[in-house]
Amino acid sequence: MKKYNYHRPQTLKEAFRLMEKYNGLARYIAGGTDIIVRIKKGVASPEALISLRGLEELRGIEVDGAGALTVGSMTLIRELEREPVFTKNLPALSQAAVALANPQVRNVATVGGNLANAAPSADCAPPLLALEAWLTLEGPGGKRDVPISEFFQGPGRTCCAPLEIITRITIPSLPDKTGMAFLKSVRVNQDIALTNAAALLVMEDGMCRKCRLAVGAVAPVPLRLKATESAIEGQKIDKELLGRVGAMVESEISPITDVRASEDYRRVVTGVIVGRAIKQALRKVYPDGQEVLG
Amino acid sequence: MKKRIQFTVNGHAVAVKAESHQMLLEVLRDTLHLTGTKYGCGEGECGACTVLVDGASVDSCLYPAFEIEGRKVTTIEGLMGARNQLHTLQKSFVENGGIQCGYCTPGMIMSAKALLDETPHPGADEIRRGISGNLCRCTGYVQIIESIAKAAEKEQGNE
Repeated sequence: MKKYNYHRPQTLKEAFRLMEKYNGLARYIAGGTDIIVRIKKGVASPEALISLRGLEELRGIEVDGAGALTVGSMTLIRELEREPVFTKNLPALSQAAVALANPQVRNVATVGGNLANAAPSADCAPPLLALEAWLTLEGPGGKRDVPISEFFQGPGRTCCAPLEIITRITIPSLPDKTGMAFLKSVRVNQDIALTNAAALLVMEDGMCRKCRLAVGAVAPVPLRLKATESAIEGQKIDKELLGRVGAMVESEISPITDVRASEDYRRVVTGVIVGRAIKQALRKVYPDGQEVLG
Repeated sequence: MKKRIQFTVNGHAVAVKAESHQMLLEVLRDTLHLTGTKYGCGEGECGACTVLVDGASVDSCLYPAFEIEGRKVTTIEGLMGARNQLHTLQKSFVENGGIQCGYCTPGMIMSAKALLDETPHPGADEIRRGISGNLCRCTGYVQIIESIAKAAEKEQGNE
């Protein structure tokens, strides 16, 4: 295995300074469950790893007066899985955390790391896309906020400038009668997603006022399904509409064939799990459900 | 890049020289000669290298050595009681056929330990989820799940 230096800065400023010193040849490391595997396989060969584990600035969970939730990027996947603030208020994000890898990985992997890797299959991406989260990126020149929908640029590519770090993730407050769900298609529990999907619905008098759908592993980036969303908004979500969801979803995605699944399989299964996620989200708003689903 | 790191292993304070590219697993096996923890896949899939860091189960093959500074590590050797008594979980694996070749066992037991520390009376599904990061190629898992369930019952009896 290639040798590299390892630094544990205690402040963001120190992290930027170290990163600058290595002139593009260093990498940030959060939980390390991806970058270390890539180094072992020889796919990545940084001269140094700059650890974000010591940065208190990247931790903490806060709710502001308007109900928006801000989460430090070094929040562990395990915390998303366990903490009531997520399990109660953001069940889709918690479900994604439960479905991510295995307990040992979740104990060190972080939400910021899962996003920064920009794997098309990243499990935290669909729920955060459906929740219309904002990411705060910070570099030596200051900070900026970007909507998560603009963050992913391609497999492994993000809009982060070379020294920038995701510092916080902000999830806007949700209206009453919001339901959400996350589903993932895998062979066995700890697998990388063949496809994953999140749905968020805001309902009013039996009608869908707002619909947010996002999927992963079926395009170069995790993405929102905007055409399907607008076909659902303003409608009563009944059997007829749900019956058309699969075909709409299939026309919005561009999956590939790889070792985990074929293009055709991914296309069909994504349509199915998006439909199921919508039904589950609807059931959260209307636990009895019969009158709505017809 | 070399550094002296200080941490606690199985209740003993230790100081070791480690390299910046080393993982906790190498420090445990090669430097401290605690060879109970096994090297399996090296990439976080098989769980053979599972240890507890501050009580949480982690794959020691992916845990950078420099991150261990100041932390408390528990390995399979740390489960041994007074006068070399096996831990309830270890006894239960022996008694219930939870071991065949034995290579996955230390990691499996450390995952089970983390599970029972948090959920003393797990259902079968919770046990399956608790060991979902540990692969066993011999047993088919049935006896492992039984071993963990029976250890939980026994611990309950001791309370």
